[in-house]
Amino acid sequence: MEHRLERIYRRRLRRYKAYLASLTVTLLFLLLFSLNLGFSHIPPADIMRILVKRIPIISGFLRLSDVPAVEEIIIIQIRLPRVLGGALVGAALATAGAAYQSIFRNPMADPYVIGASAGAAVGAASAIVLGVGYVIFGVNSIPIFAFLGSIVTVLIVYNISRVGSRVPVTTLLLSGISVSIFLSAIVTLMKVVAGDRLHALIFWLMGGLSYIEWRDIIGVAPLIFAGITVIYLLARDMNIIVLGDEEAQHLGVEVEKVKMILLISGALITASAVSISGLIGFIGLIIPHLTRIIIGSDHRVLVPSSSILGASFLILCDAVARIIASPAELPVGVITALSGGPFFLYLLHKRRGRYAL
Amino acid sequence: MKKIKTIYITTAIAILSVALAVGIYLHYESRIAELTSMVDTLKREADHLRSDLSRYRMITLVDDHGYVVNLTSYPKRIVSLAPSNTEILFAVGAGDMVVGVTDYDDYPYNFSAWIKAGNMTSVGGYWNPSLERIVALKPDLILASPASVEVADRLRRMGYNVLILDPKSIEGVLKDIILVGRATGRDVEAGILVRSMRERIDSIVNRLSNVSYRPKVYFEVWSNPLMSAGPGTWINELIKLAGGRNIFEDAGSQWPIVSSEAIIQRNPDIIIFPSSHGIPRFWGSFEEVKKRPGWSSINAIKNGRLYVIDSDIISRPGPRLVDALETLAKIIHPEIFKSQGGS
Repeated sequence: MEHRLERIYRRRLRRYKAYLASLTVTLLFLLLFSLNLGFSHIPPADIMRILVKRIPIISGFLRLSDVPAVEEIIIIQIRLPRVLGGALVGAALATAGAAYQSIFRNPMADPYVIGASAGAAVGAASAIVLGVGYVIFGVNSIPIFAFLGSIVTVLIVYNISRVGSRVPVTTLLLSGISVSIFLSAIVTLMKVVAGDRLHALIFWLMGGLSYIEWRDIIGVAPLIFAGITVIYLLARDMNIIVLGDEEAQHLGVEVEKVKMILLISGALITASAVSISGLIGFIGLIIPHLTRIIIGSDHRVLVPSSSILGASFLILCDAVARIIASPAELPVGVITALSGGPFFLYLLHKRRGRYAL
Repeated sequence: MKKIKTIYITTAIAILSVALAVGIYLHYESRIAELTSMVDTLKREADHLRSDLSRYRMITLVDDHGYVVNLTSYPKRIVSLAPSNTEILFAVGAGDMVVGVTDYDDYPYNFSAWIKAGNMTSVGGYWNPSLERIVALKPDLILASPASVEVADRLRRMGYNVLILDPKSIEGVLKDIILVGRATGRDVEAGILVRSMRERIDSIVNRLSNVSYRPKVYFEVWSNPLMSAGPGTWINELIKLAGGRNIFEDAGSQWPIVSSEAIIQRNPDIIIFPSSHGIPRFWGSFEEVKKRPGWSSINAIKNGRLYVIDSDIISRPGPRLVDALETLAKIIHPEIFKSQGGS
């Protein structure tokens, strides 16, 4: 009996590894593919040479002199930060979604739906209106403000919508949506009082990935990596928490503590993502569900696959946003919402009256 | 003895002369060294001055946000990030330097047709121009607007020459025209343009100086919701200059949303609607405006004083603001300006 379980576990673990490896390959492929998209046509060979040039040892073997300087600026300063930024934001939002879904024990939880994004937006908007962007110690303080807004909002929504240890769909959606509406009204109000900072605020609210630059990435990448790592380390506990608080308690999991750490990590990575990209919806909803459909709901694979799949998905959406209405560019949030909205409604319809995770 | 004495004297003289010669040599050698080093110093100084001179030949420009741009030569590839910037560039005769414009640029030429024909490149919208397109055009000067301050900031950090044109008054527009003229080596053309604009403004101001009647003007920026122009807008400033009184000059914001009730109560003598090329008139027709509930009591409706003005000339801080001023003056004070021909 034990032997059989072990064999199943081994086989499953192998499957997980193969799955994650193929996801990683897909992500790398999408990264390179996306670097090829843009207004000016740059041959893929040149792109490779520009990228490899940055790697110290190999660069000696290459002929680099014939790559035009403008192409290098476009790839290194414009396209690369945009693509990497998209990967970071996608990974952050999807992982936060996976974490929120296990804390709330509710498949509808997503940074956008539960108001974490709106809270981060209010925080970031107040940082912009107060004009503290890069002022304090030369550090980008927008993520800090966004984090404060995000964590406060999540705690409020969590406590309002909780019934005992459970968070029913109805209360979660109602409280999340009403808090989001309230917060977006605050952002609108800020536009009125913004004065000189109005342009900066509107620019940020438009969001999207097109203006992400290296200093944004350097600012938030450590936060996002740290948050995702913490959530990943708690994957085992998340597996137990979704069984129910009491069961988890019996199995020796410090439920409240784990939940609090997950909430804070989720708010942190959501806020980091929102502070560089503005509001982008539904990624945290779609991606964990896709994983569940494909490979099951073991958080040890759900969390890392959400990160990688989320990164790939947002890069793909951004590519679509760039191509579909060319020469104009659509905001990437339009593409994620177009694919996420129907999916959300489908889930809501399918899980009427019951919920499972 | 005498012989010995002679030898002594000769020796002494010899020694003295040698010493003298050595002294003289040493003296001159030090002088020569001194002179050589002086020449070297002078040469260095001259080199310095020469490079300084090239620095003096540089054009130093300060934009409306206080950023300094140094040009060592006149630009050949200019990207304009606002319709008003493009209008200024073409008005001072620097149009041939423009390689990129926004999708909204339509004056003095039909740029969207140019873009289709491949004679001009679009860099995207007024609010969100594409960084990649701007960079791909290899510009040596970029003229930004308040809508593209963040993009300008990014481009500046990437090492591009960026000037932000953000005038706050008509005087500011004139200053910006001079700035663009200096940046493009069209100083004379810009000077002539500014002088003629100033003369046209002065002529209107002078003809209105003895007029005490200031009709109340309502300018409808948008119909649903009703929106007007408040303080800090070109519309407000031009109405005032043209001898009118904007009924919403006391509004709290630049583009206040106003109530129908407030318009009826403030009872404007003149109502002006904007029109834009190719865009349907959102306010409908004058007949529809007259039928708006309660508006029949408004003086402007009773006296049929409803007018239309080209919204581009009145909203873009460019050379055509003076055209807008003349049109407004004719609308507001027909008794004074009716004799004047023109647009």
